[in-house]
This record gives sequence, C-alpha cells and structure tokens, in this order.
Amino acid sequence: MELYEAIHGRRSVRRFLPDPIERAILDRIVDAAIWAPSGGNAQTWRFVVVTEPERIARLRTVSPGLLGDPPVVIAVCQDIDEARAKGSTLGETFLAPVDSAMAAQNLILAAYAEGLGTCVIASFHARAVGRLLGLPERVETVLLVSVGRPAESPSPPPRRTDGVIHFEAFHG
Amino acid sequence: MDRATLERKVFDLVGYMVTSGRNLIDETPMYGPFRLVDAASRLIDILEQEGIASARLSTLRKRIDAGKYAVMGDPEEFVRYLDAVVDGVVDHIDSGTSEGGEASRTST
Repeated sequence: MELYEAIHGRRSVRRFLPDPIERAILDRIVDAAIWAPSGGNAQTWRFVVVTEPERIARLRTVSPGLLGDPPVVIAVCQDIDEARAKGSTLGETFLAPVDSAMAAQNLILAAYAEGLGTCVIASFHARAVGRLLGLPERVETVLLVSVGRPAESPSPPPRRTDGVIHFEAFHG
Repeated sequence: MDRATLERKVFDLVGYMVTSGRNLIDETPMYGPFRLVDAASRLIDILEQEGIASARLSTLRKRIDAGKYAVMGDPEEFVRYLDAVVDGVVDHIDSGTSEGGEASRTST
C-alpha cells in the first residue's frame, strides 16, 4: 500500500468484527512499531499484545476509552527505569511518551495496510491496566491500541488548515 | 441471562463509570457528557439483554448510539445531538404508561 493512501485512509475504528487476527499479522504490525524512531535510540518501549477475550473484557472495565469489542488490544508501554537511565529526566518525562506515540503511529498505519482497523486510546487507568497485565512496577502503559477487522467505515473529521501550517516563520 | 452473567455486565458498567469518574479529572471536559450518555446506553443494553425492554428505552439507546461519537470530531454538533437526545426523553416522558411503551419483561 502506498504510504499517503494509508495516512489519508486510516480512521479511528470503534466497531469491530469478532474475527481473530492471525499471529503473523500481529507480529508484522508490532515489528513495524519497533522501527519507529526513538529519542537517543533508547528503544525503551515494551508491547503487550492481548488476544484473550476474558483479559480484553477486564481491560475494558478500567479503560473508558476502549470502545467496541476488539479481538486484540496492544498495550504500548515504557520501561520507565530504563528510559530514565538512558535519557535522564527528559527521557522519562518527554521522550518515553513521544517515542510511544511514534511507535503507535507506525503500528496503526501497518495495521491499516493489513486491512485492519485501530483506535489509539489514552483513556484508561494506568495502574489498573498494569495490574491486569502483570506489568512490573518499572513498566508503565502509555497507550492502548484496539485492533480488529473494522465493522464500520467512519467519515474523516474535517482537518483544520487555517493558521496551522507556516513556512519560514510563524505568521499571525 | 443468568444472574452471574448479569452481575458481570453490571460490574463492567460500574467499572466503566467509576474509572471514568477518576479519569475525567484529567481528560477533555467534553468527555464527561459523552461518558454519561454512553453509560446510559450501556445500561439500556444490559436491561434489554435481561428481557427488560420498552419502546422508549430502545429508541433512546438508538438515538444515543447514533450520534455519540460526534464528541470526537465536532463539539458543536455533539451539543446539538445532546439536545436532541433530551428532546427524545421529553417526547417519550409519558409514554411509559399511556402510549403502549410500558416496560415489558420477557423470559430469556
């Protein structure tokens, strides 16, 4: 798939078909995630791929942003101790979430190229999700990504252009 | 629906509401009304699965679900949608006893 087609065609999907997703596809999209850039090449992200329906149901209970019934949820996490060790305060407080976002972007574009729908979710209780996923204390969930075959084709929300993009210097 | 399944669904809904209560302290203010109407929709869904259904509750649920994601894209449309949902409540406020919309319970 051509890159711009994926960028413009991807939507946040909140209704999914129950079909399971093949392990090979999940391997490919998570591999795409780890090819994202990371500050100082720290690569302190961690990914937990959840496919067990019961575990996903438990995640939903403490994740208000996890809408619909996706067959897969991927937790994009950070080893905060390692991020701090590699990047000091900047690594812990800024690079770790930014790196997670860049990895998530790779992941959702790769998923779209595989014919899957996704939704990036920040509305969850991080400590509760950590307990349900068995995360060690040093690993924190930054984002959840729901993944599945889409059962809807949402229209794109309008994109603001006025005053958003500036060349050479900020105008106005 | 057996009692264990019903309890699980209610537990999930309560978890959704409680976690929303905590998270909304830090989230986009507009997500507050979204979580409320979404919780209402989920409650009606549970009742329908339990065999407790009425025409007006079903209509409300459909109206809620039809427009709730406007919150993500167009806040002004979302406000108009919420007004329309409330209008729907008023439209049916008397129909529980006088227009054949009384809640019925069917065995499941």
